[in-house]
Amino acid sequence: MAFERVLTRNVGKPEALTYKGYRQLGGYEGLAKALKMEPDAVIDEVKRSGLRGRGGAGFSAGLKWSFIPKGKDKPKYLVCNADESEPGTFKDRLLMEYDPHQLIEGCAICCWAVAANTTYIYIRGEYTKSADILERAIQEAYDAGVLGDSVMGSGFKLNMYVHRGAGAYICGEETGMLESLEGKRGQPRVKPPFPAVIGAFGAPTVINNVETLCNVPHIIERGADWFKSIGTDERNTGPKLYAISGHVERPGTYEYPIGVTFREMLEGCGGMLKGRPLKAFIPGGASAPILKADQIDIKMDFDTVAKAGSMLGSAAVIVMDDTTCMVRSVARLAKFFNHESCGQCTPCREGTNWMELMLKRIEHGEGTERDGQILLSICSHIGGNSLCALGDAAIGPVQSLVKGFQDEIDRHIKEKACPFPHRRYFEN
Amino acid sequence: MPKVTINGRTVEVEAGTNLVDAAIKVGVQVPHYCYHPRLSVVGQCRMCLVKIDGMPKLQAGCSTQVMKDGMVVHTDVPEVEEAQRGMMEFFLINHPLDCPICDQAGECGLQDYSFKHGVAYSRFQYEDKRTYPGRERIPLGANVLLNMNRCIQCTRCIRFTQEIAGTGELGFFNRGARTEIGTFPGRELSNPLATCVVDVCPVGALTSTRFRFAERVWYLDKKPSICTGCEVGCNITMEHRRGDIKRYKPRFNVEVNDYWMCDYGRSTFERYKLTPRLTAPRLRAAGANGNGHGVTFTSWQNALDTIHSRVQAAEGQGPEGGQIAILGSGFLTCEEAYLFGKLADGMGAAHRSVPVDLGPEWTIPRHQRPPIKGREQAPNRRGAELLGLSGPAEDLLQGDAAARCAVLIVTDSDFGQAAYSAEAVAKLRQAKFLVVFGWADSPLAQAADVALPVAHHGEKDGTFVNVEHRVQRFERAFPPPGQTRTAVEALGDLLSRFEEGWSNLTPGKVFDRLAGEIPAFAGLHWHDLPATGAALNVPGAAHNLSDQAAEAVSEASS
Repeated sequence: MAFERVLTRNVGKPEALTYKGYRQLGGYEGLAKALKMEPDAVIDEVKRSGLRGRGGAGFSAGLKWSFIPKGKDKPKYLVCNADESEPGTFKDRLLMEYDPHQLIEGCAICCWAVAANTTYIYIRGEYTKSADILERAIQEAYDAGVLGDSVMGSGFKLNMYVHRGAGAYICGEETGMLESLEGKRGQPRVKPPFPAVIGAFGAPTVINNVETLCNVPHIIERGADWFKSIGTDERNTGPKLYAISGHVERPGTYEYPIGVTFREMLEGCGGMLKGRPLKAFIPGGASAPILKADQIDIKMDFDTVAKAGSMLGSAAVIVMDDTTCMVRSVARLAKFFNHESCGQCTPCREGTNWMELMLKRIEHGEGTERDGQILLSICSHIGGNSLCALGDAAIGPVQSLVKGFQDEIDRHIKEKACPFPHRRYFEN
Repeated sequence: MPKVTINGRTVEVEAGTNLVDAAIKVGVQVPHYCYHPRLSVVGQCRMCLVKIDGMPKLQAGCSTQVMKDGMVVHTDVPEVEEAQRGMMEFFLINHPLDCPICDQAGECGLQDYSFKHGVAYSRFQYEDKRTYPGRERIPLGANVLLNMNRCIQCTRCIRFTQEIAGTGELGFFNRGARTEIGTFPGRELSNPLATCVVDVCPVGALTSTRFRFAERVWYLDKKPSICTGCEVGCNITMEHRRGDIKRYKPRFNVEVNDYWMCDYGRSTFERYKLTPRLTAPRLRAAGANGNGHGVTFTSWQNALDTIHSRVQAAEGQGPEGGQIAILGSGFLTCEEAYLFGKLADGMGAAHRSVPVDLGPEWTIPRHQRPPIKGREQAPNRRGAELLGLSGPAEDLLQGDAAARCAVLIVTDSDFGQAAYSAEAVAKLRQAKFLVVFGWADSPLAQAADVALPVAHHGEKDGTFVNVEHRVQRFERAFPPPGQTRTAVEALGDLLSRFEEGWSNLTPGKVFDRLAGEIPAFAGLHWHDLPATGAALNVPGAAHNLSDQAAEAVSEASS
């Protein structure tokens, strides 16, 4: 499959880390073009390109920008969500570490479009290297006049700051991130009001994922029509990064046009580890329901994956072979969500805890026959009832376990132990 | 105003009203834990989920506002009931269910809602409950104790300290299922309103040190009353068992104390337990030495006759030694103050002061009004003054004016610190004949020639006028002990000895009579006095001014 690398075109070119090198590679042309356009025209172009948010929800980026109220009575903010903490997801890190100026350029174009004068890049606390690289790049951009009082001589003022998180998954939820940014305890807010109306410091705020913003310079530079020509259909356009991990020969971040089939992707990373058979895969990070091996030909775009009962999410693909105990895997995910629940709303706080305890019990061979039904019932009580999306995320893998792998649960119960080779995940 | 339909009943509400409040208007109770009308909306207990037509998911009633016409809400459909069952299960799986030893049992949100919305069995059978070892009885401050195992993380207490008390001592620590409430390092929950967090806590996680293990709440009898701690006159519920007061709880009155009251006010009932009671009229023979010799108990008849004859005898003695004085009290009800005023008129008493002690300034925050503040440690100095008792008290308490008195009537044996101070008692004792009314057997009562036991404010009906000239009624909670009578009855009998028309008095009759006579009370009637009290028509009273001016007045009076 022949295709052009767009987002990762500068990966492997160390000169892209410097301002000079990035310019030589054709960078900041998109920003220069955007500054000559009307802000509304920029929004329209992005809207027309069909770019959907790459952070997980897949909401139209241009539409999101258009929600920002016009007028100057309040400052406006762009917050770039670089709090990449979903298990299996490591695509934004690549973009920040190998092509920081691409992100800066994307942020600057977005700020021009919505008339925001401040960008905060909220970066996951553990990403120390990415943060250092970004800060160096931002300093260079200031020195080169790309940021500061007059962006590329246009008179548009833009400041950019890197804000490091302190290691909470929930701060990747947009309102949790805003709370954390404001110096409060990172827990999601009640919505509405949405951040586009009342966001950071009470002002209208756009929140976009790193990868989403990295797409923007290319859309402006090469046009929405070029962007739309990539991908499966009108609603799933553009290049996409897939973070592939698990039982594959060469795990890593791969760029494909959105809508590549899972089979092609698997071939691209060298196939299954040691040629073992595929059992299941998670198409979109820890919160996506698990798909079985018979879905191997699925097109990895937002709508097709959703139709199959899962979600593309952050496109973190976790591949599992036949040696994997599904109960143990899901129990590990449940442990993650229990650990990362912020604790403010009841269904998520109590439900994720209960699910983890129950799945651990089943894994230890102490399950009962009612457990599957009780798990589904807990999921239905959490799903849709929690304050933010973390509750909904936590039930995805559990529901798919009970619905798709009931036989494995039954084997654990019947054999009173895990039937798979033991690996110690649950010492504590 | 937009219309909203809840369970088939349509009601018009102000734009911006949330669904929990709107539902109350049509008589539908939406269960909730974290929502409190005076605290910010956080929508995190998820108990108030309701179904709104046109919305794909259930919505939290507390955080959904009625903005325009046509919202159709259901709270009795299967989806909502299933969600409520689910939430109740989540609350209870890690709750200790130690109701038999929990102070909150009987007034617990978890008990009420699990009865109404929960299920009777548990599916949480094999796992261990989450506990917080070592966090079962943490004193957060002098008055509040935390049992973390019982907490349902509704954060009402946190929001109270941040938004109402403004002190912010409490916070959330840790996260997920291990989330806990606590004070920030080096701080304790010591603000003057601290015990309100116990009231807002829907479960038994926060309990009052004062009330802890004092009584099972279902044995408590409750009466609407008024706090006597200061001139603010916070509305309270007096909760007692057979005359033994167990606690005061704030009673909602948007005009006075909103939902709150201060910790000092909550402690004021303890004086009724710590001070010995007068339970029978007591006479002291001339020349008795105060060691109990010559002191006899007598009948009310005899005691009142004695006072009557001493007053009449005083009339023949000139101004040096023949004066009659009345020492008022800020603890008198309006009705008593009125009758004492009449008595003073009848006897020709010149001195009729109302001494009150000053404390630190107590402040109660209110909703959309400036906070109400009080310094005087008595509930009704203003009422007493409106009803004819006023004047400086120094000449009696510090000077030697009592020596010129043939009869000195002290209206309350507990009128202030002076009743317990040897010097002040000695000054008052210089009167030739000292009469003391009161519930407390204070040193002043012990020095009296006639000590008359009258009911304290839990044992009588009456009205107080607070710092903003609002007259508020309170009810008798339990009967007075022994031969104690209410002061209104006793004064009626005493007044009848001087003139006609004072027999068979009740506080209601007296109130209606004084309302006909005193301009400030004009138009008020005992039986239709509003539950929130009535603002008196007094020039310059804070409630007659604009909010800004009222603030200035309360600033100036502090």
